[in-house]
Amino acid sequence: MILSISSKQELDRVFLGTFIILFVFQIFFWFSYRDIGPDFKIIENPPNKKFIKAIALGDEEFLFRSLALRLQNSGDIFAGFAPLKNYDYKNLYDWMILLDNINPNSNVVPHLATYYYSLTQNKKDLVHIIDYLDSHASRNLSQKWLWLTHAVLLANSKYDDQEKALALAKKLADNSNDDLPIWTKQLPAFIYARVGDSCMAFTIIKNLVDENESKKRLITEQEMEFMKHFIEYRLNKLKSEKFDPTKCPDYKKKS
Amino acid sequence: MLIKIFKICLTIAEESFLNKNNQKMKVIINYIILNGVRDRLYLSVLLTLIISFIVSIIFGSTFLIEKQESVSAFSAGSSRLIFIIGITLFVCLNLHRSFENKEIEFIISKSISRQKIIIGYISGYILSATIILIPLILALFILTKSDLIGLLYWSISLVLESLIVVTFAILATLILGNAFSAILASLSFYILSRMMGIFVYAIELPKSYGDFSNNILPSTLKILSVVFPRLDIYSKSQWLTYGISDFTDIKIVLLQSLVYIPLLIFMSFYDFGKKQF
Repeated sequence: MILSISSKQELDRVFLGTFIILFVFQIFFWFSYRDIGPDFKIIENPPNKKFIKAIALGDEEFLFRSLALRLQNSGDIFAGFAPLKNYDYKNLYDWMILLDNINPNSNVVPHLATYYYSLTQNKKDLVHIIDYLDSHASRNLSQKWLWLTHAVLLANSKYDDQEKALALAKKLADNSNDDLPIWTKQLPAFIYARVGDSCMAFTIIKNLVDENESKKRLITEQEMEFMKHFIEYRLNKLKSEKFDPTKCPDYKKKS
Repeated sequence: MLIKIFKICLTIAEESFLNKNNQKMKVIINYIILNGVRDRLYLSVLLTLIISFIVSIIFGSTFLIEKQESVSAFSAGSSRLIFIIGITLFVCLNLHRSFENKEIEFIISKSISRQKIIIGYISGYILSATIILIPLILALFILTKSDLIGLLYWSISLVLESLIVVTFAILATLILGNAFSAILASLSFYILSRMMGIFVYAIELPKSYGDFSNNILPSTLKILSVVFPRLDIYSKSQWLTYGISDFTDIKIVLLQSLVYIPLLIFMSFYDFGKKQF
């Protein structure tokens, strides 16, 4: 075709015409797609378990540490850090569960959840952190009980859902491991005391004191002092409200 | 038949390793180790390993907790990959050059069997790999203070893994006769072998022909997995961090190596024996 065009001037005109047509196309192209921007999702949707197993190439620990580092630094954009309220906590929860499936022994992810991601400005998002800590600790309660304690504390204070806190605290108190500190058994009492159910708070502590006296559970002197103080303090406080511990339903049975 | 195979294996092993007058094989081994120096294999791989260790320490130290464990996982995972890529490149390029420069033809013209040449080359490459492995393991031990039993098993497993990779790289170079294709084949083999665990576990073979035609790729992978070693069980970084609680993986590693390394060696014997020069 080029050979059939006789003069050089004519050839130049063809090139210029083609350039102008393509330039116009380029402008139309820019105009059509100008609204498509880069995806600034702070936390991407987690991949599925099989994909993770495949890309681990047999070394899941290496992949776990790499993904945990990514989770720790998520939201780190070049201009600074994105506020936690902008994070998708449902996605974050899925990521944490996924990482737990790869390595359930590590404390990196529950640590991040408790000390970093729980600082969110959006109180509603905390439910995902509490649920995650509950799920992580439930895998091996005798070793991971501390994370359940954090879940109880978060639910009781920041999230302000005593019902949830109580359910988790009971789960913690019901565990059969005797090596756990005695306060893990006392947590439900503190929550009952906070919601105003003095009977239940009183009964839990009284039961622990009874177990010590019947040699079922050995409690250190310091712990006993604390529990006695708890009972006395509550009794003194409740005297003004005319509270009678003997009227508690469990009191007569246990004492 | 089995007794005959066993006798042949014994003879090759005796001639290769127990014969005190086996100078030619020693020369091949020394020559390959010297090639490593000449090709700057040790220097380049060790320098890359040092860089990977530095990066691992930086990444690991940014963790809020479990810094030591993270450094351990990062350095073990990255150094394994660098080591395997380095040794694969060295084997494929070095062996291909030996063919190109007629070095193999020169060795064959001497009174040495073809099996001994293969054994000599494998031994040379493994010794070259060991020269890199010793400082790597020492560095891991010093830097990460890993669990000793875990580190021991990790190291044994890495030696066996490198043996499989070296023998496959030799076989690929012998069969394909081209360095570039052999490198690609060896690295693909390594990656696929490391992914085989999930293929074996996740893919279900179709029950009818109709299902098969709809799942050609997964079904082919599942069938292919029969001929691939299970490298996904080898050299896990978690052994360094948490030690070894279950010895099943180690048993599988040993058994798999016992089956697969001789399989590749005998394939190389067969292919090299048929080669016309």
